[in-house]
Amino acid sequence: MPIDHWMMFSTFAEQRHFEYPEKGTYQGVVINANMAAYAPAGLAAFLLEKTATATYIIDPLTHAFQHDPEAICNSEGEPKSSIKGLAEAYGEPISTLVGSRPLLPKHFEDRKVLGAFTERCVEFQLDHLRSFMKEADAAKYVDDEIKPPYAVVVPYFFLTETTYADWLPICIDAAKQTCANVGDGGGPKVFTAVVVSQGILLDDSAQEAISDGFSSAALDGYLLWVDDLDEKSASKGELAGLLKLARRLRADGRREVINLHGGYFSILAAGVLGKSALSGVTHAPEFGEFRSVVPVGGGIPIARYYIPSLHTRVRYRDALRMFTAKDSLHSAASFHEGVCDCEKCKEVLANDAANFTLFGESTVKSVRRKHGIARIEFPTTEAKRRCLCHYLQKKRIEYQFAETASDKQLLSDLDSGIQAYQDVAGLEGVAHLQRWKDTLTA
Amino acid sequence: MKTSRSETASASEARVVGGLVRFFTGEGYRVRLEVPNMGQSADVVASRSRWLTFVEAKRHDWRRALRQCQAHQAVADYICVAISLRSVSNALLQEAKDAGYGLIRCDPALQICEWVLQPSRNTKVWPPQRRRLMAAMKAIDYAD
Repeated sequence: MPIDHWMMFSTFAEQRHFEYPEKGTYQGVVINANMAAYAPAGLAAFLLEKTATATYIIDPLTHAFQHDPEAICNSEGEPKSSIKGLAEAYGEPISTLVGSRPLLPKHFEDRKVLGAFTERCVEFQLDHLRSFMKEADAAKYVDDEIKPPYAVVVPYFFLTETTYADWLPICIDAAKQTCANVGDGGGPKVFTAVVVSQGILLDDSAQEAISDGFSSAALDGYLLWVDDLDEKSASKGELAGLLKLARRLRADGRREVINLHGGYFSILAAGVLGKSALSGVTHAPEFGEFRSVVPVGGGIPIARYYIPSLHTRVRYRDALRMFTAKDSLHSAASFHEGVCDCEKCKEVLANDAANFTLFGESTVKSVRRKHGIARIEFPTTEAKRRCLCHYLQKKRIEYQFAETASDKQLLSDLDSGIQAYQDVAGLEGVAHLQRWKDTLTA
Repeated sequence: MKTSRSETASASEARVVGGLVRFFTGEGYRVRLEVPNMGQSADVVASRSRWLTFVEAKRHDWRRALRQCQAHQAVADYICVAISLRSVSNALLQEAKDAGYGLIRCDPALQICEWVLQPSRNTKVWPPQRRRLMAAMKAIDYAD
């Protein structure tokens, strides 16, 4: 079974990477609705020019309005422009509440309010970008009719162990309504998003309520997002819970389940080893393999290199420490044999292992801090691009490998990572590979 | 005016660093402060001839200092932890000894530093990274 490889749109600066390593690498692009509201013309051109062979899904981001308004406001306490635009498009009850009070289940007590809101939310996904695509210059070169999204996503809300009982009926009613209105064959599919806290992964009754509840709607699939679930540090219980939830939603392959933020564990789960527990996995050009539902600050950017055998991204300095300890930087040949032989790494090293420093290239800037001026190192744009291209090269290979390799080969690859790095990363540094293996073979 | 805990800590660390500058210059080194190295910053880099000694200074969190020292192995000839505790624990002494790091005890009040353990020569330097560091350090003024 093929694994659908989706990529999340983050910034226009990254748009070239949706054709990297080559056109057709990605099944589709996930676009956040606030971006679609804020920069529709740019996104329309991007979809026409950069992803002609791919499809797209607009994440309606309705959960954004249920959190503390501070999360969607700028430093002046006003709703961010992109959120404000989205709230206007979605109308009541959000347009009144945005930036001042959080959306609560009681605001949808009158199901007519929910019905109208759901309709506007779906209409936004079907029409907003498409109208800009039709007007875009690039549309002249498109032979076919401008495509609708791959699926419309029903308005959804973040479900935790303590809040799912309140929000779930609303999500289910919105799903049923959308399935009745849109899912009449021929048009886009109808998905909902199951966005849950990590606690839900360990709560069997909550999982059952969610999967059983949605099974009553004629949905084609789901976007699945577990709040801030870093597969590298996740426990076996959490990973097993993720698998279980995905399989429940998948309904023996009758429904698609795309993990909105997933790493190599999810890719394995979607492939041969996980018996297609997921139908697809999304990441962002700049990683995005896990993400908090409520956005948190980004901190100082730092160069990170994706270590293929560990299937994880580490700080450049840690990668360097491990590679020198393993003597993998003795020569370019030893690097390509022991670490990575992707096209990007070959291009960057250019037969000289010393060029590995280019992955950590940085500039130093003086930044005013509380206690005076501090010198802060920032990765250069080129260094970030090198790390990113290497990451995207390896990601494509991972999807293909998980799709086509045998169970034995996939497990052996995890074992090789453990053997190759435990002496330099310590047992804790490779433990995630063992946890992934144990969970997928349980 | 009240002084916050972080301000007090910062001032105390600044006194430790001040003591280290005097300590190393007294031993014939030139000293640079806050030298960026692969996304983190070494508190003190003391140079004499072609030899570089990296120092991570902490008031008490020596485990964090030891972690920070790891990155310096790719570029430093000698690596040290400077700590402003009255006494140095056996655990710290043993870990520093095992890693080949030097240990300096600082008295923040008197701004006096003394060697507890001399560092061993670090043999894990990766020359290409060291060359990048040397080029970047030229832009940083000496603190002494």
